[in-house]
Amino acid sequence: MKTNLRKNSKAIIVLTVIAVFLFVAARGMSGKDVLITVLRGFSIGSVTFLVAAGFSLIFGLLDVLNLAQGTLYMIGAYVGWTVYVRPDTFVDLLTPILLILAGFAFSALWGRLAGLVKLAPKPRKTIAWLLILVGFGLLAVVLTRYPIAKWDLDVYTESPITYSYMADQGMRIIPAEVAFDRISPFLALAGLLLTSAISAFGIALLNRDENRSKSITWRKLLVPGILLLVGILAAVFNSRITSWMFNMSTNLLFVIAILIAVLSGVGLGALMETTLIRPLYNRPIYQLMLTLGLGTIGLQIVQAVWGRPEFVFPKPEFFIGTGGACPATNIRDLFANHCSTILLLGGRVRVYDEIFIPIVGIIVLILVWILLKRSRIGMIIRAGVQDRQMVEALGINVRRVFTLVFALGVGLAAFGGALAASSSGLTPTMGERLLLSALIALAIGGLTSFPGAALGSLLVGLIQQFMIKYGQIGIPLPFTDAVFKPSPPLVPASTVLLMVVVLLILPHGLLGTKE
Amino acid sequence: MKNISGFLTKNRGILIFFAVMLLLPFLVGLIEGSSPALIWSNQGSISKFVEGLGIEIFVLALFALSFDLLFGITGLLSFGHAMFFAVAAYLTGIALKTLSMPFGGVVLLVLLAAIVQALLFSLVLPRVKGITFTLVSLGLASVFHIIVMSSDMINLTGADVGLQGVPVPAFISPVTERLRFYAIALTLLVATYLFYRRFVASPTGRVCVAIRENEDRAKMLGYNTTIFKVVAMIISSLTASAAGMLHALYQPIISPSVADLGYTVTGLLIVLIGGVGTLSGAIVGAFVLRLLDFTLRRFIGESASFITGAIYVIFVLFVPYGVVGTMRLRQLSTKSGWQRLAGLLNPKK
Repeated sequence: MKTNLRKNSKAIIVLTVIAVFLFVAARGMSGKDVLITVLRGFSIGSVTFLVAAGFSLIFGLLDVLNLAQGTLYMIGAYVGWTVYVRPDTFVDLLTPILLILAGFAFSALWGRLAGLVKLAPKPRKTIAWLLILVGFGLLAVVLTRYPIAKWDLDVYTESPITYSYMADQGMRIIPAEVAFDRISPFLALAGLLLTSAISAFGIALLNRDENRSKSITWRKLLVPGILLLVGILAAVFNSRITSWMFNMSTNLLFVIAILIAVLSGVGLGALMETTLIRPLYNRPIYQLMLTLGLGTIGLQIVQAVWGRPEFVFPKPEFFIGTGGACPATNIRDLFANHCSTILLLGGRVRVYDEIFIPIVGIIVLILVWILLKRSRIGMIIRAGVQDRQMVEALGINVRRVFTLVFALGVGLAAFGGALAASSSGLTPTMGERLLLSALIALAIGGLTSFPGAALGSLLVGLIQQFMIKYGQIGIPLPFTDAVFKPSPPLVPASTVLLMVVVLLILPHGLLGTKE
Repeated sequence: MKNISGFLTKNRGILIFFAVMLLLPFLVGLIEGSSPALIWSNQGSISKFVEGLGIEIFVLALFALSFDLLFGITGLLSFGHAMFFAVAAYLTGIALKTLSMPFGGVVLLVLLAAIVQALLFSLVLPRVKGITFTLVSLGLASVFHIIVMSSDMINLTGADVGLQGVPVPAFISPVTERLRFYAIALTLLVATYLFYRRFVASPTGRVCVAIRENEDRAKMLGYNTTIFKVVAMIISSLTASAAGMLHALYQPIISPSVADLGYTVTGLLIVLIGGVGTLSGAIVGAFVLRLLDFTLRRFIGESASFITGAIYVIFVLFVPYGVVGTMRLRQLSTKSGWQRLAGLLNPKK
């Protein structure tokens, strides 16, 4: 205990100073203001934490600072919005995505087939590249002809802004269905599966030597089989699923939207790690630059698909009740009337923004903590953070754990995006802003420390919110009548200042360990 | 005499570049059909346009050179490098517009600000290393970006619209005296490049390279690595500030986007295209990027920046040494290839 204290004396002193500052800041406000500010701080902190946690896991194990995390957070938000506001687009997209995935996922089969090809390396590689090119070319042709319900950025009544505004008002526009008029349904489905299979076979042919020994088992064919089946079912029952999703309770739809957002994040993360990050493991600075470039590209794609203007992500039914017994005064009223606000200490607290998000943040913190501390995979991750070479030497397939952690980290960011979008709206700049907060939180808490990420995010959230609150009420300067109002630019500036000060005293952050 | 001829042969490439670029407006004028005298008095329209594009490229190249010194030579990856550029640009604009200072005073002020900023960054240098330094520099620069964008100082900076209507001194006005502006920018670029090559070859520069390769070993050899890093930082900051100043004088609007992370990424992209740590790569990269961007924007439109991003990723993945770096690696094999080709054409020999 004593040595522990002495070792971490600087961190404890810094934390105490920050706590005293916050306490003094809280003394200057009324009780309800303090409560709301602290809850908002927890809310911002939770969202920041979801991004920063992914950061710290990825950086700790893989030594990759994933600067695309902000963009992936934003993509999570936009994907969630699409599922929630335009389920028809989502159902239309489901079939092609699942079929293409299925085509690639039969990799065991392609590997076995590629093993049967008896060719000299050079013609084999030429044929493989040819197949890949032809496969992707045909895939592009089929995809452009596949009917997908779209919004139109140029027509105001069909833009995302209108759709989300109407959904927010409780009047959903149900867009017209798109029919198979440029390609026959059978040709479309078969084309999607076949073209992706051709490209997958080409890739298998290219890497034949690496996966020669793989055998086909029923379990390896089960997953792609399920993907295939679900994809075809989604195509057959397209209009029924769409109308079912339009008519279901928005609470359930919200949960589905968040799940899909997380899944898309996990998928994107796994794809990024296996195809782009993996070739660069011995060039760390290039990984950094690559993720930066991917972030910019992602931003461009989001702007091209969803447009630049800001729009809202409507909240589900559970959080928008008004009138009658609202704002609720106790928990039972809240659940009975689905109030959007609740009275705490005489102040109105928004249920979704200031209570629901922090609770979700804490639940995720606990879940990831259990995963890290109590499961076998968590044990491998913790060991990998400590010493990667040793884990490899013990015969554990670290590569697979890398992919898993990367996917998990990106999935957390996408989750944060979908969650935060309902309270803060969707803009193409949301990713950049959050990326900065998460980086600052991580630098304060310690780059590789998971609890550090949580602590740093909380501090960043609290300090931002206290600054914003004091920007409204002003700080009375001692010995004068003047009131100093911190202007909005000072809010992010204050967190950066905190980061610089902390790093000057503790170069490894509050909870980080020396290398 | 020997010194001079040695200097000429060693820097053959850049001197040829200097001569060609100086003559370029006149060559374009000949194609266009206007006489050199017209070009001299800033009359030809196409050659004036070419000069403008050239100035933009020189400013980018100057900025990328300073980034290469810091990242490619000394090994400090700073994500706040655009701050040097932006501070100089805004300072020039404000000093000329609001304070109406004489031009010499503005230059002095900008150079002073550059040194102060470099020292500010150096404050954290001895404590934080590697990725953490990258984060701290990003944080500092984004504070500046936020201040520039804020509405509190809209009278000074113009907030998100940008700083407009800077009164440029008549003798280097980009409208009436563009040829002179072009020549000054080009000379500044070439002089900076020559100075950088000399710097990298000097004992101080060698230590900077050693820091990039292995800082602990450089420390063990008895060098105070922090001082060398600060020196590199100051030189880099001065160069970036000069680029920022030219930018402010040339462009009609100083947009706040020069202060954000995207502008640093542009510098990084240029260095990456040209080749990290090659210095001449920065000039090559600036040409490639600006001309590519110009053509793409003309023929494709808005999605040009998406393609630029894709090129960036391709370079990171497949051409890590950039154009110049790959050429240097291939130089020997190219030479022998040419010789073999010559042998085939001349079988008797």
